[in-house]
Amino acid sequence: MSLLLTRALASFIFIVLLFLSSTDVRAKNTLGFDDKPLRIAVASNFAPTLTKLLARFNLNQENFPKPIIIAASSGTLFLQIQHGASFDVFLSADTKRPQLLTTADLAVKDSQQTYAYGALALWSAKKEITTDVLTALKNNQHRLAIANPKIAPYGKAAKQVLEHLQLWDSYKTRLIQGINIIQTFQQTRSQAVNLGIVSNSQLVLNHFKGVLIPSHFHQPIKQQLVILKRSKNIQQAQRFVSLLMSKQAQQFIAESGYAKLNGMKDEGNTRE
Amino acid sequence: MKVTPVNNTHPDILALITTLKMAGITTIILMLIGTPLAWFLAKMQSRAKVFIEALVALPLVLPPTVLGFYLLLLFSPQYLPGQIWQQATGQQLAFSFSAIVIGSVLYSLPFVVQPLQKAFEQLGDDLLEAAAMLGASAFDRFFTIVLPITKASFITAASLGFAHTVGEFGVVLMIGGNIPGETRVLSIALFDHVEAFDYAQAHIISISLVISSLVLLSLIYLLNRPTKNKRINQRGLIDG
Repeated sequence: MSLLLTRALASFIFIVLLFLSSTDVRAKNTLGFDDKPLRIAVASNFAPTLTKLLARFNLNQENFPKPIIIAASSGTLFLQIQHGASFDVFLSADTKRPQLLTTADLAVKDSQQTYAYGALALWSAKKEITTDVLTALKNNQHRLAIANPKIAPYGKAAKQVLEHLQLWDSYKTRLIQGINIIQTFQQTRSQAVNLGIVSNSQLVLNHFKGVLIPSHFHQPIKQQLVILKRSKNIQQAQRFVSLLMSKQAQQFIAESGYAKLNGMKDEGNTRE
Repeated sequence: MKVTPVNNTHPDILALITTLKMAGITTIILMLIGTPLAWFLAKMQSRAKVFIEALVALPLVLPPTVLGFYLLLLFSPQYLPGQIWQQATGQQLAFSFSAIVIGSVLYSLPFVVQPLQKAFEQLGDDLLEAAAMLGASAFDRFFTIVLPITKASFITAASLGFAHTVGEFGVVLMIGGNIPGETRVLSIALFDHVEAFDYAQAHIISISLVISSLVLLSLIYLLNRPTKNKRINQRGLIDG
């Protein structure tokens, strides 16, 4: 009996080792593509768009380093960077964290810039909203899902929308607060809550139909990036950033449900 | 089961109260469900036992967010459990205090069932059989024989269930919705503070959680120590 157990255990360990070694080899193969991969830390809400964008534009670039996308909440990534995570570029969902990294001298000087403007949409997974935003919000007697205004930029903007429409007081006790805009989307999608203020990009990505919230209802949701000083790949990181800021890429980002850059003044990022 | 929010209380105190209520109610429910389940498992002979044991242990290995995600779906009005609840109580189950209690019961189940099952398995049949022959009812046998002998395991089970529920994050995060006074518990409040760069407040909660958990766990181990002797005495009594 115990022999059987030992054998079972031994084969289990063998399988685990086999698995580990095989994944190791695979990692080497993809990494061996170029001398160094480019590690891009990205706020979860932008990760799907970035993946698609890289798949489309990466091929045109010669010797472009293999990008590795690390997606998490901006807060988590920020903490990791603060504590020595070796990322090359950080695409945050806000302006605060890139600013803090710049102040703390962890970011490459003057690399901080806005790569996307978030757009909000009112959405119900239960039935299509046929009225305008104000009417739909006024008629809703139930709860409303928004991202946590204290910690999520999209939540802060959602709160501004409610304040702008003078509905904050009626809603503040019946809000379902997600830790980020992705959770808010998920909560609304599960139909556990009737109505949610989600990011338009998630609706575009998943082919859902919501009502776009006019961008003047809230302050712009600037998503900014920085190149990290610790990067040993700064040149390639800069190539990636100029790819991201190029007209075609910006067009693609706008098509993915983000607000358009034109009409908004920014630190000279938009060429033309 | 609704917790009424108190406007004047500090948000973190409110979160503490919600946490204690959630953990307290969860522990009571767990003891009521876990005891018969552990007994059933301890005495079970069938091959299905292994499967049920694995099922009970599942929350130990599953990421809490997985459990939370499925519960979110089940609790939404889209699916039958959520529908039944809404028809019976008139309220929606997802994002309610009841939801986080149900989630916690599932999530902390192994912490209650496993110590009890171990204790019941070690309990010899001889005492119970003797008592039964002397005419003691099942009810009597449980309260006069099983309970006193396995008292320490009951304390362990209840404290572990309680402590584990206090420390829970993923499940509540998924099905709670962060509603102050109803589903915002300490671990969520802590997360919010960290994400909002409010490290001072985060430290206060973390330190209090670490200390109170340490105290609680130390108490469990303290209470558990003398029991071994008691069991030996008990055996001595039987043998003698």
